[in-house]
Amino acid sequence: MSLPSFLLLILGGCVAGTLGTLLGIGGGLFLIPFLVLVIGIPIHQAIATSIIAVIATSSTGASIYLERGIVNIRLGMLLEVATVIGAIAGGLTANVLSGALLTKFFATIMLITAMLMVQRLRKEPAHNRVAHGGLFASSFIDDATGQTIQYSVEKIPGTMFVSLLAGNISGLLGIGGGAFKVPAMHLLSGVPIKAATATSNFMIGVTAAASAFIYFSHGHLNPALASSATLGVLGGSIAGTQIGKRLHSHVLVWIFVVFLLIISIQMYLK
Amino acid sequence: MSRVLRFGVTLSSLLMAAGLLIASLQSAPLPMPERNPTLGELIRQLGSGQLLGTSGSSAITLMFAGLVLLMLTPSLRVITTLVVFRAEKDWKFVGIATLVFLLLAGQVVYSLR
Repeated sequence: MSLPSFLLLILGGCVAGTLGTLLGIGGGLFLIPFLVLVIGIPIHQAIATSIIAVIATSSTGASIYLERGIVNIRLGMLLEVATVIGAIAGGLTANVLSGALLTKFFATIMLITAMLMVQRLRKEPAHNRVAHGGLFASSFIDDATGQTIQYSVEKIPGTMFVSLLAGNISGLLGIGGGAFKVPAMHLLSGVPIKAATATSNFMIGVTAAASAFIYFSHGHLNPALASSATLGVLGGSIAGTQIGKRLHSHVLVWIFVVFLLIISIQMYLK
Repeated sequence: MSRVLRFGVTLSSLLMAAGLLIASLQSAPLPMPERNPTLGELIRQLGSGQLLGTSGSSAITLMFAGLVLLMLTPSLRVITTLVVFRAEKDWKFVGIATLVFLLLAGQVVYSLR
């Protein structure tokens, strides 16, 4: 690989990381199509690369959320049992599936994620569930209002099942799975959206790590490719955090929903 | 936990960046190994002084070292969490954290055989 190749990969990773952070869906959903459609990398290598990038960005995000005290560590640890099992199964499965089938499955997940993003545009109702204690009850200080939000966690078996599926998708397709975990924690278990997002971020690194070595052992991890893309995605996620403070637009989300639809069609046709 | 995550990401990023820098300074194409090295082989390469050279194999070794450290960082976080729960004498979650760690360790050992 030459210097221009490294720079292209870093730039592509940076764009993916920025977009993923701005939209709150992680960089994998943009990085994999870039690697497959623009660079021409086989999808198994693209997935392996994306998993490494996901570990880096989620670990960075989790460290920030931990310092702010928003993560529900006990809930996260319990759900990690399900996501890790799902991710290991996904990683093992991906290495026996054809690239064509994986590409089409990835395109389907992009479509589902686009629909979930549209759903999130609806105004979030104020958190009005009454906290009633419990093993996973927790609280955090909402930076936006300065209020202390207390909450309990309900319907854990259902959320664990969704976490198992999200982990499986993560191991299979190299994405974080937060697009599924966050709604499950919020809508099923009653976790406030900020705590759900922080807890999901806390879990994603472990979920991705659960399948990373499987891809490594099957020879899908190209070190130069993975290093360039990961550094780019890390830089992009930091930039996205800064840009996101100044940008808040539903139009931006709609533009990227259309973008996801176009890319998913191209992935289907590949 | 936060510091463990930051340390892992920072050090692995530095290793990967160093490897990329060395690789970009090579005039010849970057040599790719026929198969990925195991963790043991990577450790031997690091210990044999290949890091001090400027050959393409040193660049690949550095990048793999950074990638492996990054992949292990979440496991280090789980260990830290386990230690915290133990200090709090929360034995239920010591058990849960241990289970997560064993699952991660199991797939690492299986994958590197």
